[in-house]
Amino acid sequence: MFRIGIVGTGVMGSFHAASWARTPAQVVGVQSLDRGQAQSIAERINTRVYDDLDALINDVDVIDVCTPTDTHHEIVLKAAAAGKQIVCEKPLARTYAEGKAIIEACEKMGVKLLVGQVVRFFPEYALAKSAVEAGKIGNVGVIRLKRVGFQPARNPNWFAEFDRSGGVILDLMIHDFDYARWVAGDVESVFARNVRSNQTETMDDYCLAILKHKNGAISHVEGAWAYPAPLFRTALEIAGDGGLIEHPAGSSVPLEINLDQLPDGSRPNIGVPTSPLLDDPYVLEIKHFYDILSGANVPLRITGGDALAALQIALAAIQSAQTGKRVKIEEVA
Amino acid sequence: MRIGIMSFAHLHAASYVHHLGGMSDIELVGVADDEPARGQHYAGQYGLRYFDSYEALLAEKLDAVLICSENAYHHRLTVMAAEAGAHVLCEKPLMTSIEDGKAMLAACEKAGVQLMTAFPMRFNAPTIEGKKVVDSGSLGKIYGCSTTNQGKMPREIRWFTDKKLAGGGALTDHTVHVADLLRWYLGCEVVEVFAESNAILNSDFKPEVETGGIVMLKFENGTFATIDCSWSKPPFYPTWGGVTMELVGETGVLSINAFKQTIAVYSQESDRPLWPFWGSDSDGGMVQEFLSAVRENRKPAVTGYDGFKAAEIALAAHRSVEIGQPVSLPLKT
Repeated sequence: MFRIGIVGTGVMGSFHAASWARTPAQVVGVQSLDRGQAQSIAERINTRVYDDLDALINDVDVIDVCTPTDTHHEIVLKAAAAGKQIVCEKPLARTYAEGKAIIEACEKMGVKLLVGQVVRFFPEYALAKSAVEAGKIGNVGVIRLKRVGFQPARNPNWFAEFDRSGGVILDLMIHDFDYARWVAGDVESVFARNVRSNQTETMDDYCLAILKHKNGAISHVEGAWAYPAPLFRTALEIAGDGGLIEHPAGSSVPLEINLDQLPDGSRPNIGVPTSPLLDDPYVLEIKHFYDILSGANVPLRITGGDALAALQIALAAIQSAQTGKRVKIEEVA
Repeated sequence: MRIGIMSFAHLHAASYVHHLGGMSDIELVGVADDEPARGQHYAGQYGLRYFDSYEALLAEKLDAVLICSENAYHHRLTVMAAEAGAHVLCEKPLMTSIEDGKAMLAACEKAGVQLMTAFPMRFNAPTIEGKKVVDSGSLGKIYGCSTTNQGKMPREIRWFTDKKLAGGGALTDHTVHVADLLRWYLGCEVVEVFAESNAILNSDFKPEVETGGIVMLKFENGTFATIDCSWSKPPFYPTWGGVTMELVGETGVLSINAFKQTIAVYSQESDRPLWPFWGSDSDGGMVQEFLSAVRENRKPAVTGYDGFKAAEIALAAHRSVEIGQPVSLPLKT
């Protein structure tokens, strides 16, 4: 039975904890700078809190990294050096060099790495991708992807610190950068504009980006931490020379529940899409990795190279937004 | 009021004739066309007199003309009409070169005739409502706008995909409507244009012009906006296309879908659903405004200059595609 250690106990740490609980693996411990948060998750899934990361790494087969983006590099390298299998939340890293170092370390140590580009596990996105692959819409010409919500609120709020999170472009839009590349292949250049690409205070951000893929396809990617709460919307549209796939925001939400406040009296403070499924996308993602660790003969749905390429697109978008110029992807290295 | 139709190359002419036909104080004097067969066909269909030349039509002491020719001929016909003392309602895009546009504005100015650009979206009920919301200030500072004017590729009328006659493909055809709406909404000019385009969609048609494109505008107040002008709706789509705008502001978000007022029809007579439109007709309002401006000899609500600035954006988009970087406005040539 695989022993799992979760590092970081924010929203994603808690999602991953719940997802591992749906596999035969055992979460043997959680570790977090926020001991109270770690304690609450530990109680929920019946595991223990580790104060020491090294001790946790020592006790497990898999390290699941759900910490702020800028800390991924250090933690993953530690876990890889110890020969542990790794799950790492998206984005892979804060910088390209860090991302590359992670990939190289995992390769060198022969450990498997799953990066949490969870959109590949959202059934509607996976379905659209397989429809394209099956030739239903011919050659892809123009893709539109949208992921818009309000500012994530944390205390302290590392999302608001550009040097830590990379802002809306790196933290949120990376989902759609990865998806666009999954559907239409490698990206050649990026042009982007946003409200603030290098400010550190907690303020709105909104970004529009245009990707040109190597095969000529164009992707329009839209991301926001600027919508009034609790709005969170995603949309996808893929136009080909033989047809069109549309999935506008909210068009297939089967339940609508409107309450003044949540049952526990709070209001939502971070936007996370909920699709009522027997296995939610986070469970699908973790189960996929569990199967691979168990020897299933299936390819990783998202490789380290894919995650690094998505990071590169996001960094190119940030560079473009800062310079006002179109950025060729190889300029980011 | 005596009105002539200069060319039926653009089928919007049929809609304008329909609106004018019901008015008691309007006399539709006749039609002239570069292609006699086309002119005679529509003259016959609408019970209008056909003139062998534009000169012969303009000799009829017209008060005004509607110019619905191929884009590249707008310049020649507008100058002819102005010199004959007729006010002009000209189809969009106003011109296919900066020189042509400047000459058109100058000719109308010199002759003392009004020049209106056919931008019916300014008379679309949902976009008028949207303008009120923007003017109320309730969105706060507008950060950015994500807009689309997608449609089916015009396959029946060949000149739309003829680079010389149309001036370009999707970038030329579908950028100007929303560019004009954004100028109207934001009350300021565009200072920079970036665009990507390709010719993947509708590849069965072997188009010589671009069929997909995304344009990014930067306004002088800092607001940025994208326009998806792609001919990305397949021939079997339930409606012709549409116009959408999402404006993201400091204190709110406004989403407009200008042609959402439809019903869905699943008919035994058709193997695909259809979405007939029940919203208000905007062509009627546009024609009325033109007639009022002529009667009162005042500037119309949408001027020739508005048409010039919108077409300048489309021209800059083409130039940006050529050089792979943003292009500054105004264009000198």
